[in-house]
Amino acid sequence: MTVVDTPPPLPVRDKATAVERAWGGVSPMLTRLAAERATGVLVREGGALHLEEGLVTYAESPLSLGLDALLTAHGTVRAEVWSEALSRADEHRGAARFLLAGGHLTEGALQVCHLGALYDAAYFALAPSSTPGRFRYGVAHRLGPVLPVPVAALERETLRRRDLLHRVWPDPRPDHTPLVRTHTAAAPRPTARQQRLLDRLDGTRTAADLARELGRQAFHTLVDVRRLAAAGLLAPRPEPVPAPGPATSAAAPAAPHPSSAPHPASAPDAEPRRPPAAGAPPPALADPPPPGLTERLAQHTTDPHITLLKRLRDALEAL
Amino acid sequence: MANTETCLKEALASIEGATGVALVDYTSGMALGTMGGSKTFDLNVAAAGNTDVVRAKMRTMEHLGLKAEIEDILITLSDQYHLIRLISGRGGNGLFLYLVLDAKRSNLAMARHQLRRIEQDLEV
Repeated sequence: MTVVDTPPPLPVRDKATAVERAWGGVSPMLTRLAAERATGVLVREGGALHLEEGLVTYAESPLSLGLDALLTAHGTVRAEVWSEALSRADEHRGAARFLLAGGHLTEGALQVCHLGALYDAAYFALAPSSTPGRFRYGVAHRLGPVLPVPVAALERETLRRRDLLHRVWPDPRPDHTPLVRTHTAAAPRPTARQQRLLDRLDGTRTAADLARELGRQAFHTLVDVRRLAAAGLLAPRPEPVPAPGPATSAAAPAAPHPSSAPHPASAPDAEPRRPPAAGAPPPALADPPPPGLTERLAQHTTDPHITLLKRLRDALEAL
Repeated sequence: MANTETCLKEALASIEGATGVALVDYTSGMALGTMGGSKTFDLNVAAAGNTDVVRAKMRTMEHLGLKAEIEDILITLSDQYHLIRLISGRGGNGLFLYLVLDAKRSNLAMARHQLRRIEQDLEV
């Protein structure tokens, strides 16, 4: 067995500081709000988190489907029922209560869907951003409390999800760029679920569009997209215009960040991994460059041969 | 009509030998709820890891062209049983219940039967 690691993780502000703090420190502001048990809405670049007494009750993001969309997409709840429940909701009784009282939904189903939607949107809302978040005090969400989630649990899960995606396929570009179908020899057969996603690829739709069309959670779609990218069945559309979607969120943390420069977690395992990889890394990367450079190269290589080699290495690793 | 917490509580209380239970989303590997477990047995980690088990089995079945649904998956250790029960819901969201049993104190057939009942209660 060859000892090959995936390239070092994205240098987002986690890991090093996460160990020292009680949790990941995805957003220092959110941590502070949780500590002071605040009620209101935290609006960040990627989405918004609704807090009540320091617990997260609802999350929304333009990149993910809301609870309403998830519930209505598969006919679990009719759209009229949902809008009626929302219109009847007031400060004391949220829409959730009307849905349950009307027998439209069981409590277990609502909780599970709600948690799914909340963590899904929070993943995008808590993505590394280039602008500071804003907090408005005193606005509770109209859904009402279903199953409030502690901030620490949400941050931990968000970091775990980032790691999961990184392990599946370390290149974040397919998350935001329009996707195209690619064909490789001896590619693993996709599952029925993945096939439905592949059928919709046309070079204009992004992962978020696909999630919306299929009525699936956006993070789940990202997992599928990255798995298919690792299998060589899809790829981000090659860009003739210099307007890469991911540049806003993926390149921002990759740019030299004061806290990412030393990166003790990834630097040691980046070096010894090179020799046993036996030809898998391109010759340009063979000399040990400074870790920051390695990371940037690993993310921005678009050379098809390098992509092929990376895919080959990942496939060997999976054996 | 049960909510997730009472379901998990019931599983832990009513199933003989149960030491931990989790409701897991298998695409993301997130535990939507956990109960029991211990310092040395982190149910969140177990939940995430067992999604790979479920996924591998589903993929194999699909490749074999088997149309049947997986009801449950049993893993026996020298001192524990791990029981995975897939939840087939309307949402088709891909959830499973994960149950850890002490091998000495439990009755597998009974546990399996009770887990099925709890799944029906959950009505996802």
